Amino acid sequence: MELYELNLYHLTEGLKAKKFSPEEVYESCKKRIDSCEENIHAFITRTDEVAKSQLNENNSGTLAGVPTVLKDNLCTKGIRTTAASKILGNWRPPYNASAWNYLRDAGAILMGKVNMDEFAMGNTCGNSAFGATRNPNDLSRVPGGSSGGSAAAVSAGYVPFALGSDTGGSIRQPAAYCGVYGLKPTYGMVSRYGLISYGSSLDQIGPFARTVRDLQLVMSVIAHYDPMDSSCFREKNYDFTHHENVSIKGKKFALVKEFQDFSLDPGIERAMKKTQEILQEEGAELVEVSLPVVSKYAVACYYALAMSEAHTNLERYDGVRLGYTVKDAAGIKEMFERVRSYGFGSEVKSRIIAGTCLTEPQRCEQYYVAATKVRTLIAQEFAKAFTQTDFILQPASPEMPPLIGSQDDDAMKGYQADLYTLPVNLAGLPGLSFFTGYYGDLPVGLQLIGPRWSDPAILEAGLVIERHTGTPEIANEGVK
Amino acid sequence: MAELTFTPVIGIEIHIRLKSDSKIFCSCSTNTDAPANTNICPVCMGLPGSLPHLNHRVVEQGMLAGLALNCGIRPKSLFFRKSYFYPDLPKGHQISQCDLPITTEGYIEVHDAEGNLKKIRVHHLHLEEDVGSLHHSASDGRLEGADTSYVDYNRSGTPLAEIVSEPDVASAAEAVEYVTTLRRRVIYSGASDVELEKGMMRFDANVSMKCSDGRWGHKVEVKNMNSFKALERAIEFEIKRQKKIMLSGGEVIQETRHWNDAKGVTTGSRLKEFYRKFIVEPDLPPLFISQEWIDRMKARMPEMPDVRANRYVNEMNLPREVADFITDDKNLADYFESCVKAGANPVRAAHWVRTEVLRVMNEKQLKIQNFMIKPEVLAGLVTRVEEGKLSTTQGKEVFDYMCSNNCSVDDAVNKLGITEGGVAGSALDEIIKSVLAANPDVLNEIKSGLDKKGKKLKFLQGLVMKESKGQAKPQEVAEAIAQAVK
Amino acid sequence: MKLTSEQVNDIALESRLLLTEQELAGATRYINNFLEILDSFKELDLTDVEPFSFAEVLECPLREDKVAAFPDAEAILHESEHVDGSYFKVPRIMEE
Repeated sequence: MELYELNLYHLTEGLKAKKFSPEEVYESCKKRIDSCEENIHAFITRTDEVAKSQLNENNSGTLAGVPTVLKDNLCTKGIRTTAASKILGNWRPPYNASAWNYLRDAGAILMGKVNMDEFAMGNTCGNSAFGATRNPNDLSRVPGGSSGGSAAAVSAGYVPFALGSDTGGSIRQPAAYCGVYGLKPTYGMVSRYGLISYGSSLDQIGPFARTVRDLQLVMSVIAHYDPMDSSCFREKNYDFTHHENVSIKGKKFALVKEFQDFSLDPGIERAMKKTQEILQEEGAELVEVSLPVVSKYAVACYYALAMSEAHTNLERYDGVRLGYTVKDAAGIKEMFERVRSYGFGSEVKSRIIAGTCLTEPQRCEQYYVAATKVRTLIAQEFAKAFTQTDFILQPASPEMPPLIGSQDDDAMKGYQADLYTLPVNLAGLPGLSFFTGYYGDLPVGLQLIGPRWSDPAILEAGLVIERHTGTPEIANEGVK
Repeated sequence: MAELTFTPVIGIEIHIRLKSDSKIFCSCSTNTDAPANTNICPVCMGLPGSLPHLNHRVVEQGMLAGLALNCGIRPKSLFFRKSYFYPDLPKGHQISQCDLPITTEGYIEVHDAEGNLKKIRVHHLHLEEDVGSLHHSASDGRLEGADTSYVDYNRSGTPLAEIVSEPDVASAAEAVEYVTTLRRRVIYSGASDVELEKGMMRFDANVSMKCSDGRWGHKVEVKNMNSFKALERAIEFEIKRQKKIMLSGGEVIQETRHWNDAKGVTTGSRLKEFYRKFIVEPDLPPLFISQEWIDRMKARMPEMPDVRANRYVNEMNLPREVADFITDDKNLADYFESCVKAGANPVRAAHWVRTEVLRVMNEKQLKIQNFMIKPEVLAGLVTRVEEGKLSTTQGKEVFDYMCSNNCSVDDAVNKLGITEGGVAGSALDEIIKSVLAANPDVLNEIKSGLDKKGKKLKFLQGLVMKESKGQAKPQEVAEAIAQAVK
Repeated sequence: MKLTSEQVNDIALESRLLLTEQELAGATRYINNFLEILDSFKELDLTDVEPFSFAEVLECPLREDKVAAFPDAEAILHESEHVDGSYFKVPRIMEE
């Protein structure tokens, strides 16, 4: 067995026991990346030199010597950070994202910054200024998005874990498409400081890994109160250490009544059935909850809010202080227009215009303010549902990873596919995307949702399911 | 036909820089005099990924300023994003409490044209961040005609209070009194030093005109006034301009105009302004303020200047004009009161503060807080003069000596060779004896009765005064000489 | 009510975006589809519903008023191509 194949937990154990050295782990992962990257194209920037200098730092933290990659919307001091947009040019942030600081302090080694949809707007990882990433399980298919690079890197065995961000499913959907585990934590659990914002009230950083226990390990490092993020919660007692003798006996798992009528890909349908059998076998109770507002209005509500927030988050890109710019503009307006028109991709431009449109005085009440009210209803509906159940079980996506380039021209149709993931962000809930097995050659993932702050409990439920499904194999399609 | 009359309807928006060490949303220093672009960080530069974190002191300063304007403090306020593109605004939006402010519904009293007190209602005061500062390349330093501009972001993120009045102001004079009184009260509250020369107070005015024939002109927003004088002139100009248009039957168009201080005119803005509904700032949760916190802030509010001036008049018998003068500057009034507390007669102390202290402050460009003579020390000097131990002239000499040499009253008296209580009795007799001995001719003239007008006598008195270094009482000298020449 | 491509173009300009004809057509279609979906909000009675701001009642944390200078202001300036001396230099602001 090669070192790159080790899961995070085993890797940390082996490193602690000095069965192998951080240098050997680094070399193994680097070799793996070199052999697959040409086909998979997960990286925007590789940071071999940074990794090498980190190896000399003699860290003895929880993650000492463990290679990792970060989605390229997480700021890394002195290292190019692009959010997959041309507009950021070769920007090297003067500071680190807090989540990366925590990992770095714990000894994680940075192998690079990975691909994503521009400013996290997209669900294929194809909407990047640096080209598309391919699914390591099937190179003709998308890895999902927006955190496609992170999911692909973990799936292909580049690194045992990675960080991504999830605004409307950007961790959970690519995790399912690539056959790895991904957690979108409760909003406020992981500091967003240094995460390049898309929809600030929806964004949350979370981990990808190949086992649930690995997610627990990463969460124990990054779930950390940070005064730099005012939406970060203080003094919550998170305990991500339980992994032995965990049980879901007597716990309630709900299916959403309104979702039953929606069609699912056969592989996903089958996984849903299989998972319900596992849950029953483990002594859990299956129930049904009703989420009528969620099922009908969440998509519209989500996009209205995400775009309203996004267009203001993107106002700062004007070419004056950083990133792509022009030097020969006759006036400031011309400079702003040229920088932004060239720097942003067309999906981003559409969303900026939509967000501007929704928040104009004559439409603000009807759309933006209405959406904030619908969001209240959605949060209330979930809160009520969680008085009737402990968890909700549902797909992470209604379909298997599509072929690259097969996306529908009608963007809104693509958005409908996010119905299973984005309500979770609207209500600020945690969601676990978990591996259930393969359908043909493709992995199938589903999703568990819990009430706020139930992240440890969700992961424990994930551990129980994982005992039945086994851990995913490292995807080998990318090997040259 | 009756002559048409016009009533100006004016609302005023004021931006005041609140006093704090660090900026409103980050830990950078608020020192805007630092070299350009040195007090900057990811937050106030709006770098991708950065998030605001609110300064506790700024919230308290906002509360104090609000209380100084008789505003109520709201238990919940919220921040919004106010969007526009401008190179001095790093995020492309300003974080502002515009839609749900921290304090609301106050008032300031001013005198109307008839001299009666009237209330100018304050709609609200809200917290927001300032933008960077621009320097233009044009020869006159103005925006128009400048081919390039230079941005310094040191000011970006410094805390501001925006104070919006109701349109209750009816003249430029009322406007000036409103902002003057408001400024004084805010300084008293401790929320800001409002140093005008440092641009810590900026004004915009909404001016419209109501005509006696029932017409009501559109509202014109006049921006860019940075001094009381500019505010006054801009309003006067705008009133005249709008009146002229309406008199000729024209219509005042609703627009934003900029005050050009050099030319003394307002000009229509060629910058298109976008008015956009604000979205909630998603990176800052609501600001909750408990009643307990409000009570604590109320307890911290010092006596307001008008109340203080009344007390000086009623309890200390100060003339109204003197009381108003001293309370105009809180620090000066504090100095005065310490002086009184240390035992000085209030009327005399006020006189000393107003004349001598202020003179030296002006000469030496000093702030009263840094004045070399502590108020307790001045009280001692004032009392000695009052008790006649020192003459007024001597008192002033001692005062000047203390200012130049930074010493105590006793040291100054000794160094100046002053004998307290003056030169009298045998000391005076000695001097007179020697003066007479030195001037036998004069003495003879007087004795022979030739000094009919008393000129020679006066001459001798002068010599004695001079010999006593002014420490003898003229009356006593006159009497003693008269006695000696008999 | 559908937006015309002129209206969409105005909004784009407001956002400092110049669109190609193709982009404008795409954005117009996109926004009109989107607004149509958003019109479904009208089916809900939202009169007594509070706008959502945070996922649970959260008080704005307050920072002590202490200066902590950012150690690398120089690095911030270094990232701009418009730095002239210690200033950011920008072209003409006032339009002709």
